[in-house]
Amino acid sequence: MYGLEAINANNGWAISVVGVTIVFSGLVMLSFVISQLHKVLALWEDPSKIKALFKAKQKKASPKELPEKQIADLAVFTESQKEVAKQFALLVRTMENHFSLPRLLHLAQISGLKDPCSNLNNFLKTKIIIPDGSGFFTWDKDMFDKTIS
Amino acid sequence: MNSIKEILNESSVFSSLGEEDIQRLGVLFEKRAINPGDILATAKDAAQYFFLLNNGTILLAMDEGKSVVLNTVGDFIGLELLSLKEVYKTTLTVLEAGSVFAIPRLDFLAFIQEDSVAADTIMMAWQEYLDKTASFAKNIEDISFPYNY
Repeated sequence: MYGLEAINANNGWAISVVGVTIVFSGLVMLSFVISQLHKVLALWEDPSKIKALFKAKQKKASPKELPEKQIADLAVFTESQKEVAKQFALLVRTMENHFSLPRLLHLAQISGLKDPCSNLNNFLKTKIIIPDGSGFFTWDKDMFDKTIS
Repeated sequence: MNSIKEILNESSVFSSLGEEDIQRLGVLFEKRAINPGDILATAKDAAQYFFLLNNGTILLAMDEGKSVVLNTVGDFIGLELLSLKEVYKTTLTVLEAGSVFAIPRLDFLAFIQEDSVAADTIMMAWQEYLDKTASFAKNIEDISFPYNY
């Protein structure tokens, strides 16, 4: 028995398909390993990155942001604080969307608002005032409305 | 958390130091209570102290209205975040009561100059800390460490 007849009789097609699959999978894995090799080499050249990686993971596990419940607790303002918050909101309306926090504090101080530093801190903790990541801050109107309502 | 040793071990800038370095650095700090409205440093004044936050919230006001709010245990307020050529370049205002550990600027710089291993460790961690806390505040001037801070 020769040729295609012999291949059919001895599962030749199935064996060749399995062989091709194994070789192809191996090549895919090899190309993936080679594509990631630069990361391993970077860690090899600068081991401090490994330490930084672990530290970053630890930080992610214990974020410094307050849990939602704590924010909600802080967001319960007294009537007096609500009044001050409204006055702060008026000041913010005179400023840019991305405003300077020291400037807002200065305006609050010269306007004679009550406990400007402590109140500013309350707005930061309750996320009414949010950093924009470039040194300026924004006023979250939704959070403000929710807090003073 | 009250002990300076604990704060240094908690601080992302100093936690990589060895036990002996932490011990030597720790004795240079003195604890100070802070209250809302206190000004710890004023821009253009002679730079005398660097600060390590124990608890509370501090607003660091920079040029052009930019600012950073610091409220994490172990936040270090020094080097280019605070001074340039022996003069404070930013203003620190306390927003929430707490305490800081102050270290004389010259003592800190002397500590760094006398121990290059500790200096390398601190400066590497400091750059990472700046990237995370106030990347927009990173020094773009060519400063030859550490004489110009």
